[in-house]
Amino acid sequence: MSVTRHLSSDGKELTISIHGKFDFGVVHEFRRAYSSLGDEKPVVYIDLRNTEYLDSSALGMLLNMRKAIINQVESVAIINTNPQVKSILEISRFDKLFKIE
Amino acid sequence: MASQASETTPLELVIFHDDSRFAHDTIHLLSGFPFLIIKESLGLPATIAATKKKLKERWPTVIIGREAPSLMKELATSSHLLLITATELSEQMLNAWQGDVLMGDCSPAMVRKRLSLWCASHRVENQLASFEESLSWYMQRIEREHELIEHIFRNAMSRNYLDYPHIRTLLAPAEKFNGDLCLVAPSPTGSLYVMMADFTGHGLAPATGALPVSQAFFAMSERNVSIAEMVTEFNFRLSRLLPDNMFCACFLMELSANGERITYWNGGMPPALVFGSDGEIKHRLTAEHMALGIVPTADFESDVTTLKVGSGDSIALYTDGVIELLSQQREFLGLDALEDLLRRYPERERFTDLLSELEHFRGEEPLRDDLSLAILECRETGLEPRREESNRDIFPFHFSTTLSRRELQQTDVVSTLVSALGRLPPLTAHRTTIYLLLAEVFNNALEHGLLGLESEIKAQDQGFETYYELRQEKLSQLEDGQITIQLTYFSEANQLQFEVENNGAAWRFSSAALDAEATDDEQAYGRGLALLMQLADGLEWSSDGRKVSFRYDLSRLG
Repeated sequence: MSVTRHLSSDGKELTISIHGKFDFGVVHEFRRAYSSLGDEKPVVYIDLRNTEYLDSSALGMLLNMRKAIINQVESVAIINTNPQVKSILEISRFDKLFKIE
Repeated sequence: MASQASETTPLELVIFHDDSRFAHDTIHLLSGFPFLIIKESLGLPATIAATKKKLKERWPTVIIGREAPSLMKELATSSHLLLITATELSEQMLNAWQGDVLMGDCSPAMVRKRLSLWCASHRVENQLASFEESLSWYMQRIEREHELIEHIFRNAMSRNYLDYPHIRTLLAPAEKFNGDLCLVAPSPTGSLYVMMADFTGHGLAPATGALPVSQAFFAMSERNVSIAEMVTEFNFRLSRLLPDNMFCACFLMELSANGERITYWNGGMPPALVFGSDGEIKHRLTAEHMALGIVPTADFESDVTTLKVGSGDSIALYTDGVIELLSQQREFLGLDALEDLLRRYPERERFTDLLSELEHFRGEEPLRDDLSLAILECRETGLEPRREESNRDIFPFHFSTTLSRRELQQTDVVSTLVSALGRLPPLTAHRTTIYLLLAEVFNNALEHGLLGLESEIKAQDQGFETYYELRQEKLSQLEDGQITIQLTYFSEANQLQFEVENNGAAWRFSSAALDAEATDDEQAYGRGLALLMQLADGLEWSSDGRKVSFRYDLSRLG
């Protein structure tokens, strides 16, 4: 599984992790990962700890996700980014739309 | 090691005598006793030096003489001697003689009785000496082994970052070796891992379990492994290593680089306490899982919890040795008292006061269990994200490949290429960015040049899925077409040159389109070009847009 999701037992945090390669190959899996959010308006964490590669389609998928869920969640944060991924996200001005850690 | 004489082994002894009739009669008598063996019998004048030498070797020695021999004076210092003489000795002579004496006219039965006792006492003495010797041998051996183990532990823990500026710890083992484990390590992204664990029991045996766990902890910290994966690995290792009656309670957490988020897993540990700068206890992070080393991987629950923490908050991790601390009145400290101490001394500077309170509570009562307490401040870690070193073994290279229909349909070209070339030292630290750049130009060549797809499809509802389904479909129907990729590394300039060419449709780069795309921050496509413009130098199209080339500067950070 290259995309995993974990909703905390209190329903207040949803963590979506992408392993390996984040590109159009996981487009369905990624959409499924945020398709059910529960009723608790969770904080959504996109955990890129294990994401080694990504391309611009990943950025597009992140933006699509944000558009789709922003009104049903507390916030969306992209976490555990390595320096290269962080720099790519910043160049793309994602820091304006997401909390990036 | 000295051999141990058993009860039945006859005692070997040496005899010095004066060659008198009395001496020979006595020797004859002695030789008939089953509990002794006359190893050597030397008639005088045997030199005093020879006698002394025998004494030094601790041979039981019997001196037999008709008259109190002149040797008595010389040998008076040894207590291993038995003197058998026909004459009565003066009180003064008896006092000066440290050994045993059999004097006067003794019956053979009496001689036998005394000799048998004398031999028995020698045997006991020998036994004691040999016990003493082996005890001291074992002690030395244990000391040596402890030194060795301490050395191994020191090395194993050399990476333990207990000097991290925002953590305070009290680590007090009940014995020489600690069955508690408090580990701290930075992650490559600037977050901080902290682990507090407690093996069943205390002393060397539980401390041994600390070795594989700590080694795995440090290795995985370096690889930025998630808490859930870490505990799964620990459990896997420990469930195979530990005997059934041993396990390891564990609290493992990661503090995000900005200090605002804690991700934790608690298996069988007392609740970690999150408290504010005013000492208010905000959260009790109770155990939701079983300790490590009990259940097999298939039944293991690695679910973690994430918690937002405020600035000024701290988190106290501790082993049950703290709340089960015994006072001299034989009362446990208890969780309430610990919380009370945190309420009273929440500040960093008051940690020593907190420790004095614990000391005071314990008084003279010895530690019954290992005791560990760590208080971590939840604040920006200040840890620099690690940059991979890649300035060794650098040489220029050129790579070129031309891919036609079959390879394009069947291979994940960009991943395969970057995974292979990413192993070359100058590229390793940049492989994520190199992947992104190559993926952009390769996908452009394939999707627009060869497959004739339009990016605008992505703008529709579910457009992404439609686009990529169309891509798959068109790719499988591709009849002709090729893409050439050339990568050249210039070691002097430390730059990687990309050239990607396709033999499909012409494509015109429009800077107006780029501007329009890039100004809309929320548009889900068209970012590739903008990224390319920002990350690459000398971006150029030729052959009617079929060929693109640019350079990427590897000296830029990350």
